[in-house]
Amino acid sequence: MLSIKNLKASIEDGTQILKGINLEVKPGEVHAIMGPNGSGKSTLSKVIAGHPAYTVNDGSVTLDGKDLLSMEICDRANSGLFISTQYPTEIPGVNNVEFLQMALNSKRAYLGLEPLSDADFKKLCEEKMAMLEMDDRYRDRGVNDGFSGGEKKRNEILQMAILDPKVSFLDETDSGLDIDALRIVAHGINQIMSPEKAVILVTHYQRLLDYIKPTYVHVLRHGKIILSGGPELALKLEEQGYDWIEEN
Amino acid sequence: MDAITRIKQLGMPRRNNELWTFFPVNKIPNVLSADGDCRVADAPRNDEQETLDFSKEDDFAALLPIACNARKLVKTIADGENEMAMLKCNNDFGRTVLSIGKNAKASIEILDNKVMHEICAERFDINVAEGAELEIFFANPANDLPLTFRHFDIKQAAHSTVHFANVLQDEGIGRISARVELNGEGANFDYRSLNILKGTASKHQRLTILHNAPSTVSTQFVRNILDENAYASYDGQVVVGNNCSQVNSSQLVNTILLSDGPSVSVKPVLKIYHDDVECTHGNTVGELDKDQMFYLTSRGIPADKAREMLTRSFAKELFLELPEGPAKKRLMQSL
Repeated sequence: MLSIKNLKASIEDGTQILKGINLEVKPGEVHAIMGPNGSGKSTLSKVIAGHPAYTVNDGSVTLDGKDLLSMEICDRANSGLFISTQYPTEIPGVNNVEFLQMALNSKRAYLGLEPLSDADFKKLCEEKMAMLEMDDRYRDRGVNDGFSGGEKKRNEILQMAILDPKVSFLDETDSGLDIDALRIVAHGINQIMSPEKAVILVTHYQRLLDYIKPTYVHVLRHGKIILSGGPELALKLEEQGYDWIEEN
Repeated sequence: MDAITRIKQLGMPRRNNELWTFFPVNKIPNVLSADGDCRVADAPRNDEQETLDFSKEDDFAALLPIACNARKLVKTIADGENEMAMLKCNNDFGRTVLSIGKNAKASIEILDNKVMHEICAERFDINVAEGAELEIFFANPANDLPLTFRHFDIKQAAHSTVHFANVLQDEGIGRISARVELNGEGANFDYRSLNILKGTASKHQRLTILHNAPSTVSTQFVRNILDENAYASYDGQVVVGNNCSQVNSSQLVNTILLSDGPSVSVKPVLKIYHDDVECTHGNTVGELDKDQMFYLTSRGIPADKAREMLTRSFAKELFLELPEGPAKKRLMQSL
């Protein structure tokens, strides 16, 4: 499904952040990526999505066999990739619901489908907002404008639910969430997940993985995946930190 | 001194005149004829001579309609009257005199000239009495207009409010000038201008705001969205007089350059003759926010549509604080 091979990427001053990432993600799998601050976790999702601040130096990323790196940013999304960044961008003046409708209908146009009518979109939006226990305040505001940290993360999952991507890359979705919000957001992600889809979670803590069971856990350090394992690896990292990995 | 004598005394605008620093003065045809008249080809004329003294008027654009004996439209809103229903004002090449009575409310839309002259020059003399509220606005459509001058001479009495708002998106050469006198305590003047320019559009604004009374408030908020070879300039002068305490004045110009071709010039001038005042000015020039562009496109929205969404939101933000009424409705619709 998503295949990342020897991915190397740098920032404008030439500093290489990703130094050869390899990752295979199959349908139905949940991958958790953990690692210390500054190891390249957030960069990975942005590079795959095509953020202009990064240059790909080597490697490939394919989604269902299609070369993502040669595509425009919007085409990557419309092909089924969704990324949620650690700090969702605020866009005052662009209405949240109009933005969601525009995004969904852009994807439908890309797939050769008719745009969803206003009535059908409203119904879909209400259904997904109810799933995430979101109230009407989200409708009338600008995209993430004045949202609290938790509200932004919930809004990200709303977008994921509406756009229905094949692969979702969620960067620290659990940060800024209180216990109840974490449970609601995790429940939403589990609802969206299906055997045809995959999720990559970037997190620092086991607590998110109590709600969303990972198939694999990876440790990213210094721009490379240095260790992979099952769910038990996350528990060990929670107890012992990362230093023992280098010792081995 | 009559206007024609004054205009001959001043001569045609030159770049070394600070009122015309940014304007392409070479595009202004000579209106001073050898026979001593002042004439714009095909412009309608009035038989009645203006008798006011213009010896202290320095702005060519303010003098031109009067020097040419332009057609005059007079409109009075009586004390306490409410004309929030739109009064449309279309005087082609001409002069409009508006009087807004005490505690009256008025909403005036200036429509575009239907007749193309060599120069379209208009002058508006507006008196706003105590406690009156006026909104005056125009939204030029995106088409070619000739050389246009619009000059406003606004005098405000105590506790009056003027909201002056406009959207310019034609590709011609134009200049808006205004001289605003805040003569009574608590008078409030609010100016909002949006320029969405491309091609070789060249738009210039020159405002002078005179705070002649205490506790007067002025706001100048301008946004430019410029593409191709467009040029915009803003020259805003604020003068706070002696004994005018608690004056609050702000000036902000935000510009987005959509490509490498366009340019903008901004000149704030503050002359403050009293200590107890708050006067600010700011100017930003930049591109569309890269993170916002990335965010929208990473959700599948094509780059051209994302750019349009961001520029539209940048534009609409300018008018969000206008009171609900015909001006806000019309200007928002124009975007």
